[in-house]
Amino acid sequence: MDSTGATRRARTGQRRAASLRQSLSRNWLGYLLVAPLMLWLAGTILYPLISAIRISFLDVGIIGTGGSFVGFENYSKILNSDKFWSALGRSLLWVVSNSVIQTVVAFATALILKQRFRGQGLARVWVILSWIVPTVVVVIIWRWLLGTSGGIVNYALVALGIVSEPVGFFGSGTGAYATVVLINSWRWFPLMAVILLAGMQGIPEDLYEAASVDGASAGMRFRHITFPSLQPVLFVMGLVGTLWSFNVFDVIWLFTRGGPSSATTTVPVFIYDTAFNSYRLSRSAAASVIVGVILLIFAALFIRFMMPPDEKEA
Amino acid sequence: MLDSWRLRRNLGLGLAVLLLMLVVIAPFYWIFSSSVKAPQEIIAQVPTLFPQSFTLQHYDNLLQSSAFPTYLVNSAIVAVLTMIITIVLSSLAAYGLYRMRFPGSDFLFRIILITYAFPGILLLVPLYEMLSSIGLIDTRWALVIVNVTFAAPFAVWMLQAFFRSVPYELEEAAALDGASRLRIMVRIMLPLTAPGIASIAIYAFITSWTEYMFASILIISDANRTVPVGLAGIIGQYQVDWGLLLAGATVTTLPVLLLFGLVGRNFVDGLTAGAVK
Amino acid sequence: MRSPASRLGFLLLIVVLVVAGIGPVAAQDPVEVMIWHMEQPTYRVERLQELIDEFNAANPGIVVSQEPQNWGEIYTKAPAAVAAGNAPEILFAIPDFTPIIRAVGAVQPVEDFVAQMDEAHTFFPAALESYSYDEHVWAVPMWNMAQSLWYRKSVFEAAGIEPPTTWDEWLAAAEALTTDGQYGIGLPANRNLYTDQTTYDFMINAGASEIYNEDGTLRFDNPATVAAYDFYKQLYQYSPADSSSWAWGEAEACFASRTCAMVLQFTVISTYETQAEGDAEDLGVIAIPHSDAVEESGTISYVNAAMILTDDPAKQEAAYAFLSFLLEPENYGRFLNMEPGLYLPVTEDGSTAESYWQDPTVVKYQSQIETMLENSRNGMLFGFTGGHTFPTIAQISAQNLLAQTLQSVVIEGVDPAEAVAAGQEAMIEAIE
Repeated sequence: MDSTGATRRARTGQRRAASLRQSLSRNWLGYLLVAPLMLWLAGTILYPLISAIRISFLDVGIIGTGGSFVGFENYSKILNSDKFWSALGRSLLWVVSNSVIQTVVAFATALILKQRFRGQGLARVWVILSWIVPTVVVVIIWRWLLGTSGGIVNYALVALGIVSEPVGFFGSGTGAYATVVLINSWRWFPLMAVILLAGMQGIPEDLYEAASVDGASAGMRFRHITFPSLQPVLFVMGLVGTLWSFNVFDVIWLFTRGGPSSATTTVPVFIYDTAFNSYRLSRSAAASVIVGVILLIFAALFIRFMMPPDEKEA
Repeated sequence: MLDSWRLRRNLGLGLAVLLLMLVVIAPFYWIFSSSVKAPQEIIAQVPTLFPQSFTLQHYDNLLQSSAFPTYLVNSAIVAVLTMIITIVLSSLAAYGLYRMRFPGSDFLFRIILITYAFPGILLLVPLYEMLSSIGLIDTRWALVIVNVTFAAPFAVWMLQAFFRSVPYELEEAAALDGASRLRIMVRIMLPLTAPGIASIAIYAFITSWTEYMFASILIISDANRTVPVGLAGIIGQYQVDWGLLLAGATVTTLPVLLLFGLVGRNFVDGLTAGAVK
Repeated sequence: MRSPASRLGFLLLIVVLVVAGIGPVAAQDPVEVMIWHMEQPTYRVERLQELIDEFNAANPGIVVSQEPQNWGEIYTKAPAAVAAGNAPEILFAIPDFTPIIRAVGAVQPVEDFVAQMDEAHTFFPAALESYSYDEHVWAVPMWNMAQSLWYRKSVFEAAGIEPPTTWDEWLAAAEALTTDGQYGIGLPANRNLYTDQTTYDFMINAGASEIYNEDGTLRFDNPATVAAYDFYKQLYQYSPADSSSWAWGEAEACFASRTCAMVLQFTVISTYETQAEGDAEDLGVIAIPHSDAVEESGTISYVNAAMILTDDPAKQEAAYAFLSFLLEPENYGRFLNMEPGLYLPVTEDGSTAESYWQDPTVVKYQSQIETMLENSRNGMLFGFTGGHTFPTIAQISAQNLLAQTLQSVVIEGVDPAEAVAAGQEAMIEAIE
């Protein structure tokens, strides 16, 4: 009895030690596998970030010139600048309007592509078209389509009697803002649609069948099955999509350069403008650090409150 | 009754698909078809739905008088290198994060996603100085380095579902048979996650193919320019030669369109196979 | 006119200098000279390449090469390149770009070389003005550009309109020319250099050409400026709805497609020739109409120049050798005609050079080009007027503050007096 008990204890101890060793080696290997990517990101994001923080405490004007330490002066200048706050306001509206439009259109698209119809396979390929072309091409396309002379959109609007003379889509502040939001959404919704579609495909068919048997309507099925099942996808798309869309620069810059009358000057445009047109590199670095902090807080809150339960426990 | 329901459903679906086509494909049709029109027809005040004239002069101009073929080659090289490095880095990381589940793996995964919080513009100046100090300015490698940074984090997430969906029993069985970790990774995980790898390959390729801002600053010489920057150069500021621009837009779109036509199924089906979670 | 012998002598001198300076090195290692310019259209690049090839063939010790850049990025890229040691030897510039590059500490004074060139070819006095300050000359003038008002004679005749010379006539013309499918005038209202330029055209012609007082304080906020903005707004109602997103190209395209009856532009010749009817007889060009406040029409004009960014004497000499090669009358005309009818000569012997006037496009549009040259004699550039140069104009023009003020007038509908006052505030903040 005694001896068997001792043996058992010894065995458990051995097993524990073995599993500990195993888990240690497992952990060690895990870190090793993640290390290359982490090092890469440290070199290309962390290091530049530190360097930007350093610059934000100097008074560098033109890129390439020196500067001396000025403490928090750049930060107080930025925090007291109306231009910065209105740019931040425009960015918030930008993120909200882009995500609402993209989510709605992407959901609709994913639901369409989920149906069975002839050409469905092909449709799943061409739908992504607007995402695979460079921004510069997007700009050429829409400049060409929306022009007042020979632009097909204006021609159609006039021909259909919707407007009496060609509309300048970039002619007013609100017009330009709305147009750029729509074009940016046009560019990004396919990626989201395809990812949602993939998420929907992962929902077991029998869930729907059971619901149908219980007499659930299409709307109810969407609310109670599709939507909850997509939580994990929506979580990451919500997080990454928001950060991406906040940082969109090239579409806005190539279309409007932040105009007319800074109506489309979102934060990235403001940062670029401050650094390279106003030649206040340090001040623009301070603005980016402030924005970086805001986005980090957003991300932390988003992860804290929006992360789906099963993701947390996993 | 069932028939009328089905008819309505089909009609609605047909209209929806048609609308989607109008939104996504019509702009491209308009670009392609206009690029073969004669200059006068391009800027005519009354647009023509089908070309009334046919000319390849804009393509001639584009291919003969600019270094467009060079831009295409550069873009392709950068995109392929970006793709390869992204695959290696993110599948290793994904294996580590999703299969090993070591302490802090969740935290690391969040850190990886949060890298998107920092605007590219913020990184532009320090990255320029860094790349310049190691002599990489005006090289394709500079672009590869930047593009991987922007492609890899999301690619890691895209792989999540694939790596999680492989049953642990398979690995354990292989381990019992005495297979090494490396062997398990190459022999078991790689084939089972292949659709996911295909998806991130395409994702990384496209990310690189469309990048403009860094390419416009980090590349100095014409010989190293990528398509977006070369095309932006053709846009020019002094004159708008719509014919040339439309031809440029077409030539830029067609290669990825062809590529996507060939492998695009893998992108979508790949994601679907993993049923992203 | 200089005698060919003295020119030859000068060239020889340079060759001797170059050979003396770099002789021993040149034997194994040719001196490399890189040029960055913003003349990106392919035919311009090709023309310059022809000249480069000729020069390289004639000068075995030197290898010149070019990399065309884009105005949109050069303000970021050039300082970054200088800071990182990747700068070219020669960088082409407009007057308000030079102070920026100077601040990075790279621009070399070139007054000695400019004096030699002046001796040989005689620069127009105005050409040097905008690059001479802080006791040095900072760039070698290469060509001039000036804006004019372009129209079609047949369109004016059909509407029974005489070419306008005053603002009242101009406004009446724009109104009469606005018909179904045609806008009276194409005027930009974008936040960019083109709009800065057209705005300044209005300011000059309202008697508001001076932005600075003599003591360097700003005098942008004055009644003449307000009058200029007010009149711009009145004309703008006859401009297409999308002109708030225009750069130079859209204005030209609008004119070429007959959508705009008039445009303010440096030149429309090559677009008119290649994308429109190309009828030289019908293409009209006149000086920009002026208000009652001034006696005669003026226009914005830009002297483009070459900055030397290397402090290596051998490279400097090689760069000088190439620039002096371009300024030689037999090459200079071919150089200017990389865009026929756009680049105007800045030297006396260049303006009569056969190589300039014998280009087929120049021959065809000779009368228009003569008018452009004449208009350019009344050319000015904001911040570089009245015998004073205020380099802080670089900050003002880099932020496009003239255009920004215009946008608040024509797009937001702000009262011109208020907008101009706000504009001056923004300028003070910019140069603080």
